[in-house]
Amino acid sequence: MRKIGIIGVAALIAFAGARGFLTAYAQAPAASAQIPNLAGIWDGGGRVRPVNSETVPWGKDNFPVLNERALAYQKVFDEAIAPKYDCQPATPPAIEYDPYSMEVVQMPDRVVFNYEKDDQVRTVWLDGRQPTVHDMSIQGFSVGRYENGALIVDTDHYFFDITGFDDYNGIPSSPLKKVHERYWREGQELKVTVTVEDEMFLRKPASYTTRWLPQRPGYKLDKWDCDPEASRAPVKMMPSKYK
Amino acid sequence: MNAQRWTMAVGLAVAAAVVMKTAPALAHHSSAPFYDATKKVEAQGPVTKFLFKNPHSFLYFQAPDDKGTPVEWQIELGPAASLTRTGWTPETLKAGTIIKASGQPSRAEGSHGMCCARITRADGSPIVAGGRVTEEQQPPR
Repeated sequence: MRKIGIIGVAALIAFAGARGFLTAYAQAPAASAQIPNLAGIWDGGGRVRPVNSETVPWGKDNFPVLNERALAYQKVFDEAIAPKYDCQPATPPAIEYDPYSMEVVQMPDRVVFNYEKDDQVRTVWLDGRQPTVHDMSIQGFSVGRYENGALIVDTDHYFFDITGFDDYNGIPSSPLKKVHERYWREGQELKVTVTVEDEMFLRKPASYTTRWLPQRPGYKLDKWDCDPEASRAPVKMMPSKYK
Repeated sequence: MNAQRWTMAVGLAVAAAVVMKTAPALAHHSSAPFYDATKKVEAQGPVTKFLFKNPHSFLYFQAPDDKGTPVEWQIELGPAASLTRTGWTPETLKAGTIIKASGQPSRAEGSHGMCCARITRADGSPIVAGGRVTEEQQPPR
């Protein structure tokens, strides 16, 4: 009897532990109508969607409407001074579309996005906490909730970033940048709609929708570990307006 | 080597050869401001350095410029994270290996850079044994 009791308690503890950390990597469609299964490693590379460029994901149908400040920044911007050549990482709305892999880890109080590109980590808090001025960062501060089978993520508290909207077109972003993301599953696909507003540079919000597919089984995110010499090496191949 | 293994080896090598031509366009930046897609440049010489890194790997080799002066050329490749998946390692191209390269020349005056390059050994054979050299592809814009 005592043995049965011990086994039962052990089983209960094991079950509670498993339920306490929802890090499922099955990438199967949602088990719950409200909480989609987003967990796993996702491929955002060239086999899944067109590679980003000056016209992707911002094309003629959704290119942001820039105000005079943004246009003025574009005039003085030069690719050679883009901070990415000094290993500055990408941020939303660019990092979601970079053609590399992404890992999503779902836990009861947060969802963690690990990006292969630039080794970036974004934590989306589900516990209702709100940022303070001390929570400004290059990736901002993200809060989220599940709603109608999707994960809704709202991020603000970003640093000023000379190419923080789009580094192909030299569009900056300010601490007024707010990024709204909606993640959901459609069969094997993980999809997102990313909407950005930034009163300092955009006349109205701009948006794109894209997808990922599951990475092959056993795939592990590569370490990016940006090398400063390799990062800056292309710049000398480009004519620049600045000496 | 049985047929299945041979097929896999060829497939991996072909993928590696293709990556060597198209990987620079993998979205760290556009190639257009740096390299002129309307022109082609060719050069041959010994590898001096192979920088196998992120966000881009670079292959350096020595070859004469259009005046016959030996200069160091720089070929921009894809990130090491991508090259690794096609079987390339930091040891794939050792210093002293003679290579032939043709690709889009860099735009900056006085620079000797190349992207979207077709790279082979001196005799025209692929860098990776068993691979197949194909025509250059225009990288996605």
